Amino acid sequence: MGGAPGFPHLHVASAFSAHYGVSWPGELAAAAAADGADLLACTDRDGLYGTAKHVGACLEHGLDPVVGVDLTVHWGPDHTGTGVLDSAGRVVVLARGGTGGSGYRALVRLVSAAHAHTTGGSAGGTPYVTMAELAGWAAGPHHGAPPELFVLLGPGSDVGQLMAARRYTAGRTLLRRWKAALPAGSLRVEVVCHLSPPGEKLSAAHAVKMLRAARDTRVPAVLTNAVRYATPDGAATADVLDAARALSSLEALADLQPNGQGWLKQAGPMHQVAREVCHAAGAGGAGALLEATHALADACRMDPGPDLGWGRPTVPEASVIGIDGDPVTALRQRTLTGAHARFPQLYSGSRFSSSRAGRDLEDRLEHELGIITRLGFASYFLTVAEVVRMIEEMGVRVSARGSGASSLVNHLLRISNVDPMRHELIFERFLSNDRSTLPDIDVDVESARRHDVYAAIFARFGAERTTLMSMQNGYRARGAVRDAGLALGMDAEQVDTIAKQLWRFSASSFREAMGRMPELRGFAEQVESGRAAGQQQLDLLVDLTERLDRLPRHIAMHPCGVILGDRTLLDRTPVQPSGIELPMSQFDKHDMDPMGMLKLDVLGVRMQSTIAYTLEEIERTTGERVDLERVPLDDEATFGMIRTTHTLGIFQIESPGQRELIGKLAPVEFNDLIIDISLFRPGPMQSDMVRPFLEQRHGFAAARYPHPDLEPVLAETHGVTVFHEQVLRTLDTMTGCGLAKADEFRRQIGGPQEEVVEAYFRAAALEKGYPLDVIDEVWGTLHAFGSFGFCKAHGAAFAVPTYHSAWLKTHHPEAFLAGIFEHDPGMYPRRLMIAEARRMGIPVLPVDINASTERFRLEWVPAHPELPGGPARPGRSRHPDGGRWGIRLALTSMSGLSEREVRRIVAGQPYASLADVRDRARPTRRNLERLAQLGALDCLLPPGGASRTDLVHHLELQHAGGAAGMLGEAPTGRKRTAGPRQVDGQLSLDLPDTEAAAIVPMFPAPSRDQMVRTELDLTAMDTTAHLMDSHRPYLDALGVTAAEDLLSLRSQSRVLVAGVRVATQTPPMRSGKRVVFISVDDGTGCVDASFFTEAQHETGEMLFSARLLLIEGTTRRTGPKAISLQAIRAWDLHRPEALPDPDYLDITREQWRAWLRRDRSAARSGGVREPVPWGPGARRRLVEAGAGSAPDAGAPRDIPHHDTGDWPVRVRGAVGLPPESSATGGDRRGRGLQGAGVRELDIHRPVPVPHPETWELLPTPEE
Amino acid sequence: MGIFTQSVTVACTTAGVPLHLGWNGRDYVLAAEPVRWYERRRWWTEEHRAERGRGAGLVDHEVWRVQVRLERARNSPLLTLDISHHLDSGRWRLVRIHDGAAVRLRESA
Repeated sequence: MGGAPGFPHLHVASAFSAHYGVSWPGELAAAAAADGADLLACTDRDGLYGTAKHVGACLEHGLDPVVGVDLTVHWGPDHTGTGVLDSAGRVVVLARGGTGGSGYRALVRLVSAAHAHTTGGSAGGTPYVTMAELAGWAAGPHHGAPPELFVLLGPGSDVGQLMAARRYTAGRTLLRRWKAALPAGSLRVEVVCHLSPPGEKLSAAHAVKMLRAARDTRVPAVLTNAVRYATPDGAATADVLDAARALSSLEALADLQPNGQGWLKQAGPMHQVAREVCHAAGAGGAGALLEATHALADACRMDPGPDLGWGRPTVPEASVIGIDGDPVTALRQRTLTGAHARFPQLYSGSRFSSSRAGRDLEDRLEHELGIITRLGFASYFLTVAEVVRMIEEMGVRVSARGSGASSLVNHLLRISNVDPMRHELIFERFLSNDRSTLPDIDVDVESARRHDVYAAIFARFGAERTTLMSMQNGYRARGAVRDAGLALGMDAEQVDTIAKQLWRFSASSFREAMGRMPELRGFAEQVESGRAAGQQQLDLLVDLTERLDRLPRHIAMHPCGVILGDRTLLDRTPVQPSGIELPMSQFDKHDMDPMGMLKLDVLGVRMQSTIAYTLEEIERTTGERVDLERVPLDDEATFGMIRTTHTLGIFQIESPGQRELIGKLAPVEFNDLIIDISLFRPGPMQSDMVRPFLEQRHGFAAARYPHPDLEPVLAETHGVTVFHEQVLRTLDTMTGCGLAKADEFRRQIGGPQEEVVEAYFRAAALEKGYPLDVIDEVWGTLHAFGSFGFCKAHGAAFAVPTYHSAWLKTHHPEAFLAGIFEHDPGMYPRRLMIAEARRMGIPVLPVDINASTERFRLEWVPAHPELPGGPARPGRSRHPDGGRWGIRLALTSMSGLSEREVRRIVAGQPYASLADVRDRARPTRRNLERLAQLGALDCLLPPGGASRTDLVHHLELQHAGGAAGMLGEAPTGRKRTAGPRQVDGQLSLDLPDTEAAAIVPMFPAPSRDQMVRTELDLTAMDTTAHLMDSHRPYLDALGVTAAEDLLSLRSQSRVLVAGVRVATQTPPMRSGKRVVFISVDDGTGCVDASFFTEAQHETGEMLFSARLLLIEGTTRRTGPKAISLQAIRAWDLHRPEALPDPDYLDITREQWRAWLRRDRSAARSGGVREPVPWGPGARRRLVEAGAGSAPDAGAPRDIPHHDTGDWPVRVRGAVGLPPESSATGGDRRGRGLQGAGVRELDIHRPVPVPHPETWELLPTPEE
Repeated sequence: MGIFTQSVTVACTTAGVPLHLGWNGRDYVLAAEPVRWYERRRWWTEEHRAERGRGAGLVDHEVWRVQVRLERARNSPLLTLDISHHLDSGRWRLVRIHDGAAVRLRESA
């Protein structure tokens, strides 16, 4: 053992052991490799969560992987109540390697068996296996064969616990029992010594006892270090995780690790430990112990290909998809059938038309089929087609999204509804000969039917071939602060206040953020003063928060991934309950390709449910059946509505930034929507595409093409490169490299290989005779475009629901808004959509015990309705009788009402009296009161009698015991329901409500403000009036401008606006600085305000926390129909002491003028520099900077964007991606994202939607 | 409050095992093989910072139990001492003195 052979660590928890492990698989593998080890195990707790990452990391570092698990074992079936004696503690189970997969299979099945004892979720019980299960899966295939699994009996086992308690004889007896219970050769005693103080667990004496017991019972002993962190630095993180797991403070935690020695020690220290323990045990040298350890390690070496099926895609068997014979032939036949259905004029069913289009179609089809066949993916396409066919058959709306729309085969198989020929989409962007991994085909279905669709897929392909995918949820800043605060024993409220101030930065840069983010200014001052007073708690809080950053907290069902495989799927992935009925894999999306798994993204999209519901309501109320596929894509009224920018509720174009872009772009046709959606991405924003595109579109500048050859490629976007497809064609045109190669190049641009691509591009383009300046210019564009930007196929797939929802909002606004209320699809709270309905003059009818159902339904409102919300605006009525459709709020909008209560209420309608409601609907007392508060029982009150307030008082009094004689202890009405029941359906309409009539009118009806408050409390919606109305007197006195009046103001007008926060966004900006966009709604519409650096400093802590805001700003006209606000500062309306006086605008006018002059001169000179407002913040900085010694002294520090981390910087594809990196050290900033991962991200991750940074760039059209 | 521990000077072998001890102006030699362990610290009350990358020594410190006698007086009684080694400063401190059955515990500051 000379030199540095490395120590084979066989018991290692990675960070994927939630709330336990500290280090990422990559860190552990790197540390092991650096020590000269040639293998490393990953034994996560309760699952194989980190296994795939571990194997990948081992391959990268030249190690042989060993895989295992750390599991709880029970001696017998769990007899509840007898628990303690029954438990056999925790053991490590390792899979035997070199078995062609049987060892790994046994491990997978064992883990699944452990989770079969649970029901999922935190309350679903902890996983364990019984001794019988463990012995069963550990056994070899036949008698005398070596075992499939090895079991390591260490300090966490019952034997180890007895040894720690110095009950040596009992421990030895128990060890013999283990030996007898498990298959021959499978048991090892695990010796662990953390060099803890004498008498404590994991001390040398503890290890010695284990070693002696092993010797006495003739069980081989092996040495591990029960590793939880790669380096000693991770020990403190492990302490915090232990506290978080136990929901305890460190101070109160009984079961802390005895010390911090559980790191991945090098061979030297491990051998030293071995010598000490063996010497103390009187076992002589450490040779035998180390030899046994190496021997076990060798037996567990995994060969990733044969043992794990590494990198080998597996799809369902042909017979399951419903084909017999060659899948290639079947695919050809099905696509030809599809060609006849989709293009009857181009393909007759036997031959293609000889027209140009017919030949193009045939060529394209042959081209795609050729590539699919060469890659052997025919079964995959047939599988997806089968899934889509099945979903359509269920009557569920389905559409493909993403690059799958680039494929004609997908279009012909009905997987995608976008015609790739018409939109000139490129197949190679989706799949080419150069890609060997399965392509992603993502399918959108109605969100409300998603679980039904999953169940159907399970039923169709069989439970043995199907499982849901999981995802790991890691610590983000807020959760990390809360758990760090808990560990330090801080006051929960104080921690909560701090947590709420954190905004989307990575927890790992908390301390840095404190110095830069205005909203953390107060906190930074607290830390400072605490330090001065000798209190270290807040400093520690910051450090511990940074340590927790991104560590996995728990596993959850992925929102859309379904894994399909052949009948061996459950031999290759462990599964556990998901929270819905179906099982989920322990692997996440990053594990799919390496583990050879086929994942289908079946994403529940609320907009699809909204559209489905809208269509149902239209048919229910008017009898009209709308077939959206037949709606022409060039409806002028729809585009007119889109151009007004009143696009709230419309798919993809409702965000503040999109509304602004729409206002500037003024779409007139479907292709404009594709371009709009594609422009609104980090890539196009980043490479400055938006401004030139808009200028050229509106004729401010002439379209320019670097070379005439590129004109056909770039014509549709006026010479600006917007789409991936254009990058591919540009590369192909100028180098002749072919589209497949071009896509590969595109992926490399922006990565480490970019120089190679550049060299090739320049050489090949030069050879084809392009002038140098053209080559320079085109490369400049390609370089800026990077590997992200947007794929036109994505845009085209998105544009369809965008157009459909816009069409519905234009032509069926009531039904569409009902759909929006029902399925809540967008980014905004529902109450904003209520305000939108109010703005559109659509009556929103309150919850009513007799009229409301479990859904948001359309209801005819006759002329002059007595609506609490006031009459519809004049001029909006579309019916001669003056009536119109309104939307009745659903019973479900009231919080606290259970599903069963809702069902009972609906079943019992209509009600004539309170007694009737109690009798048949049987709501709880509290809910009956709530219904009364909301006015849902107003219809039962006698006209001119008691008010709503009286009724509420009456019920409260009754429930408080005032009428105990009548009601007794039972819930409302129980006494009566206990008596003879009415026959279901029999109504008691004729009886007067004697109870309601007997209430003595005492109180006036609630005021409008009271009603709004109640509505917000109980439904989170202000239905009767707008929330801001109660602040009206103050706001009027202050001279606040309404949102609807902003449009009539000149640009650069100074205004105050006020409203309810509806959206906060911090999109990546070209400058790398953080700009905060806050949208508020004041009842007449939305105001979108941008807060640049100075305004963020001026606003301070309430920037992200205040709900009702008063904002001072300058108008910026951004288009004929668009105006927004550049904020100067904002106030929290709930903090009256800080609010300005009513004469604010007057007394600060001069200051504002001076500011505006500076602003304009700054804009003229630099163009980039922001204006510096006046105000307390600026004054304070002046003082801090030494009383204005230099003109720049008062300039605020820039605030970097949370995703880009620094400035100025190009936004790379890694925006927000957690690269697999350290919680224990190492620099993770600026680490890019390799390869193709980027593409999926910008689709699946809820990225803050970017905002075109065009404020200071666009010429402002003045009217 | 106050500092309860006393500073000691320790000379070690190349393997890091204590050999000589200087305490209260007297020199001691080891009379038996020392025992070493790592003892937990309540770092969350003792430390002001726990930043990532801080390295070893935050959560535990090395403690050696040594049996020593005066170097100049070979017949002097044996003393059993626990001395701790702080990795970041490299300093040694005396944390406990055992005399006979009773152990005088000295809290570390």
